Amino acid sequence: MPIPTPFHDRTASLCTSHRWTDWAGYCAVCSYNLPNDSEYYALRHAAGLIDISPLFKYEVTGPDAAAFLSRIMTKNIEDIPGGRAVYCCWCDDFGKIIDDGTVFRLDKDRLRVHTAEPMLAWFKQFKRGFNVTLEDMTAKIAAVAIQGPTSRKILRQITDVDLDALAYYRVLTVQLDKLPVLISRTGYTGDLGYEIWVENAAALPLWDALMSAGKPYLLQPVGLDVLDIARIEAGLMLNGVEFHNAAHCLVELQKSTPFELGLGWTVDLEREPFCGQRALSAEQAAGSRFAFVGLELDWDEQQALYAKHGLPVQFNRGAWRSGVPVYNNDGSRQIGKATSGTWSPIVKKNLALASVETRYAQNGTVLKIEYTVEYRRETVSAVVAPMPFYNPEHKKT
Amino acid sequence: MNSSTSNAYDVIVIGAGHNGLTTAALLARQGRNVLVLERRSTIGGLAAGEEFHAGYQTDGVLHDSGQVRARVVKSLDLKSHGLELLQGRPSFLALDPRDRGMLLGNKERRTANEINFYSPEDARQYHRYRKFIRQVAGVVNRIFDELPPAMDSSDGRTLWDLFKTGFALRRLGKTTMLELMRIAPMSAADWLNEWFENSHVKAALAGACLTGTFAGPWSPGTAFNLLLWECSAKYSIKGGPRSLIAALEKAVQSRGGEIRTNAEVSEIQVSGGQIKGLLLKDGEHIQASIVAASCDPRHTFLDLIQGNQLENWQEHRMQHIRGTGTTAKVNLALGTQLEFIGRSGEKIAFARTGCHLDHIEKAFDVCKYGRFSAEPILDIHIPTVSSPDLAPPGHSVVSILVHFVPYGLKSQWDQDQIEKLGDTVVAALEQYAPGVTDAIVAREVVTPVDLEKRYGLVQGHILHGEHALDQLILRPTPECARYHTPIKGLYLCGSGSHPGGGITCGPGVLAASVIAQA
Repeated sequence: MPIPTPFHDRTASLCTSHRWTDWAGYCAVCSYNLPNDSEYYALRHAAGLIDISPLFKYEVTGPDAAAFLSRIMTKNIEDIPGGRAVYCCWCDDFGKIIDDGTVFRLDKDRLRVHTAEPMLAWFKQFKRGFNVTLEDMTAKIAAVAIQGPTSRKILRQITDVDLDALAYYRVLTVQLDKLPVLISRTGYTGDLGYEIWVENAAALPLWDALMSAGKPYLLQPVGLDVLDIARIEAGLMLNGVEFHNAAHCLVELQKSTPFELGLGWTVDLEREPFCGQRALSAEQAAGSRFAFVGLELDWDEQQALYAKHGLPVQFNRGAWRSGVPVYNNDGSRQIGKATSGTWSPIVKKNLALASVETRYAQNGTVLKIEYTVEYRRETVSAVVAPMPFYNPEHKKT
Repeated sequence: MNSSTSNAYDVIVIGAGHNGLTTAALLARQGRNVLVLERRSTIGGLAAGEEFHAGYQTDGVLHDSGQVRARVVKSLDLKSHGLELLQGRPSFLALDPRDRGMLLGNKERRTANEINFYSPEDARQYHRYRKFIRQVAGVVNRIFDELPPAMDSSDGRTLWDLFKTGFALRRLGKTTMLELMRIAPMSAADWLNEWFENSHVKAALAGACLTGTFAGPWSPGTAFNLLLWECSAKYSIKGGPRSLIAALEKAVQSRGGEIRTNAEVSEIQVSGGQIKGLLLKDGEHIQASIVAASCDPRHTFLDLIQGNQLENWQEHRMQHIRGTGTTAKVNLALGTQLEFIGRSGEKIAFARTGCHLDHIEKAFDVCKYGRFSAEPILDIHIPTVSSPDLAPPGHSVVSILVHFVPYGLKSQWDQDQIEKLGDTVVAALEQYAPGVTDAIVAREVVTPVDLEKRYGLVQGHILHGEHALDQLILRPTPECARYHTPIKGLYLCGSGSHPGGGITCGPGVLAASVIAQA
């Protein structure tokens, strides 16, 4: 039985759809309303408020805190100055990804890691020789994401801090409506946005303060269904969909490496040993078998397939993550898989995230993706497109 | 001191126990420039004689030298360095509080006569038992003298194949081979029950497989340990283990090898998966390209090598080696000679308690739960029988390995518990040797925790890891089973490697043969 998050009193009364899901053991709202289009448009044109408390949160403290995380992560955490956040991933000894997440350097000796899966046991394995303390803060800290173009304006209503100075991927301790919170310029929507981390006791006052300040700026609570659309538009991967924790995989093919996932930019190879370094160095030298790409589905071909049945194009409501084969251009050979996708209301295209053999990964390459219409398996052309699919200028400015 | 010694040595051996010295001596003999670093002020490790009270010495922490590999003695010409290897294992007295016990020795007929006193049927069976041992001894001894099978995880060979190719079991003939395969995973108790009827006889024979292990006679796999001992214990060393150490020391030094005591290694420096050097506790740095570590592999990998130099899975495997000590040592200095019931005037150098398999098993049972038995199992050695010089004239030394004393004592090892253990052991011994309590001049009690502190034994395990089937063949871990390790230039040469602990020098020889090819 999932348990309520610290925001549950508010989210439950707002969740008119009664559509809930289990997110890491917590009750999480899929969508507040039926239909949820307004949540999507709030997120993209105004602002959305998302309860992200179920994220796993670990605090690493002590003189070796950064060195310890550098031992685990593909990124050299020691290089990160205080007040910065980074996105990174971590691997097993064979360079296969375990999970991804953000690391905040709150201080020289104090860092926080946010993960999709429970990681305490994994992290603890590396403690030998490091003077660090590792604490699971998951149940102690509530978190809410405020995302969308008006999010900064909303926050300005309740804080004196100069939010323009809080650049992309920075973290800051501030007072929001007199509540002490940690605020990070991070998110999972590919838009301007913040994540706010607060002690459980302050969760409800924070929610109320944000909702009330957000009202003139059309702030709406947003559920996970819409978040899933947004993250695909932003080209952001999800553990359990785009990749699987190598520790849970049954066969090698289910595992993937940071290079195969397009996360090569998070891998700092030339440094002190870290978990997976040897394998990742070898992979970098030899090249990767797969690449992570974005696909845009050909509109005319979709229309033609439906037209055969006398139908207009039909869409799934929201994103799909059932996984479909991707073929080469003439459809003669499967060269990869699309792991999730969505109709993007803002890009106005059918999009997919896919893993394909490296030589098919250049932008502009035309591939075929399986596409089922009226229970018939067909294919449509899909072109490899640059990601993020949606990348507004205000995300980073 | 913060000096740095240039790369003057071809090989540096960590630990001057019998295995470390064996590796060093063999490599020195081949012309390698060898340095041995010993943390303690004396060499010898568990084979070192120790003065535990002014004027009283033991001839080694371990006292069974019957399994020493004859080829070591031969190839190092230890005879010329003063070692006398006597054929035949020494007799030991299986003690009986109500009777004169059984003296089990090298001479089969004489042993059968002693057994006959308890059970004529078992006396007859004993001849058959010995015949079976003789039949398989050749192959079983190969286990000690051959490199363990290569473990190449990629070709997915089965354990069956490992047995087959590794130990040439096929040469035994199908029936005997299958019999060996059947026995290996059995408990010693089950196997002995198949042979014998008398509980004294069974308990007496089972004793040999219990040294150092976290296993009772009913534990699976102990039959294999018993078989190994029965097949390989063929000798004794005059003067005990300390004489072996003295000869090995000369063998090292006669070929220019250097042995340094009070030289504790604090770090094995590794970079890029390659040995770079050693850092000593006093700050000295010694460059090294080949290091052979005779200490417990868990100490080598988990204490001496920095965490980030090992792959996580390797570290995980090292952390999960089973090896929690169950042996304590009690040394007694006696003002008289020790005399056992019904054996007045006989020169008994070795004796063991435990009259029934279940008695032994019960002593093990409490150990599992962090306590030691009120009726402990004693493996007694009286070194002064053959070396009277170890004690003042007329006096004697009793050196006792106490089985099933937990490293992790539930109530913690404080002075009270140490004294309690000493009292328990003496009280037990008193049952078999009346008057011993009054004859005690001094007593030393060495708990598993003390063994860890004094000899660097991880968790006080005298064998550097359990002798369980899974940890005997691919010892200590599959990737380190053939003496080289995932770290280039680092080799293992101690009891934590095949063929395991005890005074065999087997790991030292086999490691030297691998290092010689490096």
